[in-house]
Amino acid sequence: MKYLIAEDEKDLQISIAKYLSSDANICETASDYLEASEKLELYEYDLVILDINLVTGSGLVLLKKLKKQHKKCGVIIISANSSLDNKLEGLDLGADDYITKPFHLAELNSRIKAVLRRGQFGGNDTITFKEIRLDTLARSAYVNDKPITLTRKEYDLLLFFIINQGRVLSKAIIAEHLWGDDSDLLDNFDFIYVHINNLRKKLTKEGAKYIQTAYGSGYKFIAD
Amino acid sequence: MRKASKTFLITSVIIMTLSGIGLYFYLKQLLQNEIEEELFSNKDRVEHLLEQNPNLLGVPPIMMAEKTEKPHKNILVDTLIYDPLQDEIELFRQLSGTKNINGQEYKVTVRSMVIESEDILSTIVFMFLMVIFLAFIFLFYLNKSRNKKLWKPFFSNLERLKKFSLKADSPLTFEDSEILEFYELNKEIKILTSKIQTDYRNLKQFTEDVSHEMQTPLAIMQAKIDTVINDAEINEVQFHQFSSLQSDISRLKQLNKKLILLAKIENDQFTANETISINNIVEETIENFKELTSIDIQLKEQNTINIIMDPSLATVLCNNLLSNAVRHNLNNDRILITIYDTKLQVINSGNETLDRPDQVFERFYKESRRKDSTGLGLSIVKKICDYYGFLPSYRFRASTELQEGQGKHIFQIDFNLKM
Repeated sequence: MKYLIAEDEKDLQISIAKYLSSDANICETASDYLEASEKLELYEYDLVILDINLVTGSGLVLLKKLKKQHKKCGVIIISANSSLDNKLEGLDLGADDYITKPFHLAELNSRIKAVLRRGQFGGNDTITFKEIRLDTLARSAYVNDKPITLTRKEYDLLLFFIINQGRVLSKAIIAEHLWGDDSDLLDNFDFIYVHINNLRKKLTKEGAKYIQTAYGSGYKFIAD
Repeated sequence: MRKASKTFLITSVIIMTLSGIGLYFYLKQLLQNEIEEELFSNKDRVEHLLEQNPNLLGVPPIMMAEKTEKPHKNILVDTLIYDPLQDEIELFRQLSGTKNINGQEYKVTVRSMVIESEDILSTIVFMFLMVIFLAFIFLFYLNKSRNKKLWKPFFSNLERLKKFSLKADSPLTFEDSEILEFYELNKEIKILTSKIQTDYRNLKQFTEDVSHEMQTPLAIMQAKIDTVINDAEINEVQFHQFSSLQSDISRLKQLNKKLILLAKIENDQFTANETISINNIVEETIENFKELTSIDIQLKEQNTINIIMDPSLATVLCNNLLSNAVRHNLNNDRILITIYDTKLQVINSGNETLDRPDQVFERFYKESRRKDSTGLGLSIVKKICDYYGFLPSYRFRASTELQEGQGKHIFQIDFNLKM
């Protein structure tokens, strides 16, 4: 997949690019409005990560331009402004998703994959990892084509793990993905532990031992 | 102004009474002197007549002359004498004295009726009082209408000042007054309010700007930590430290989010009002919480509360109330939520009452030093309540003998509906 990261903060841009390219994706970057506009006109991308507040212009204007050209390109807006109006405006203009700063790279990755999966950008409804197969439309999981019963949270967790495979995920990142803003209510992450443990048990029973503990308190989904 | 009128009234009454009394005594004195003078001159006249006619008897009971042996000085007395003509006893002023006329001592007595002069006196006083009273009434109303006209701009400006809101976009405007003092007062208040308004706006803008501007650096920090965790070879201790950094960032993120929410409520940006059922919202909130906590949350619904408000704010309201209860609950005791009348009540256990229960809804008021609390949840509750005119309250019920152990923190929202 080919991504364009239009973000004027160099540090953030590099971090995002690094995280995303480890899945064998091609990441190009643009640091201001003009550069982004130019690159969008010259090249084709599968997905654009668009900051609304680009130094020399608004990402929303860029989005309008993009949609006028009828390019088959997914758009995820990132913005420092969490206000609903801004979000609605972005989505109305044709953005596929909206994420507010600050965000976890794993979360961004999971949103990107969700956008790509929605079909029209060349993805499909099936995600496979070794013998595990997820049907994202039916929200069901199979190991060696044998269906396994997962709760809603366990399914979300497995999907999140597979999408961010090979990366270390702390409990805080997982909690935020599963419960969003409510996650700050969690006194400790025992609840996540329960969910992960259950998922691990169910997978292990079918012989899929991919959830590993990293650094004592984090997790990593990886093929041995 | 009413006070000024009252003072004016009291002073007038006192002055009137005093001058009335003074006038009464002065006139009385004057009349008495007049009567006595008349008595003396009448006596002289009788004595003069006696010189010409020694057998004169006078006109009893007003003037009388009789022969006597014992001379004495003039005596002035009041005496009561029966007047057969009027068939009643009348008060007379009497002057009696002796006079030697042609070698014979005569006792001459002259009298004058006092009653008549008293009548004159009271009439005079009455007239005097009437005049003063009428003048007073006239002046009073004149004064009042004049005052009313003079103070009219003052009162209309006072009304405007009462209605003045910091949040209003328009500056305060005043009715002009020709009176210098009022003019100066208006000018000063105008300067003061516009200054306050600007400061308020700047402060609000500042909070919003800071909250927004902070998001990008936070995002960079977050992304860098994510990168380091995945790229570099780190040890367990370092990972712990990075994890704790992540949770600090997420606290800042929550704080920002809440500050922005507060600013948005203040800015009137929630206009999607619709009729919603508080019961439904509470039920949904409890469902969400059940995934996050093992604390038993019990809901008692005695009736339904339907209210017109922004659905997202209603969710925030219930969420914050419940999360406060979950956060500060003791020993995983049961949390009890009751919906009754127009009220929503959330009860959680606690050891003792708060140090400053009146400040529980204030920004950044933290009773416990719990790290993960932003100190904004309840102030958002308060803000939402203020916005819609709900009445939030807090009280602590100490433990009773029946329920040993903990007391109860009781938070209640009265939706202030007329049922």
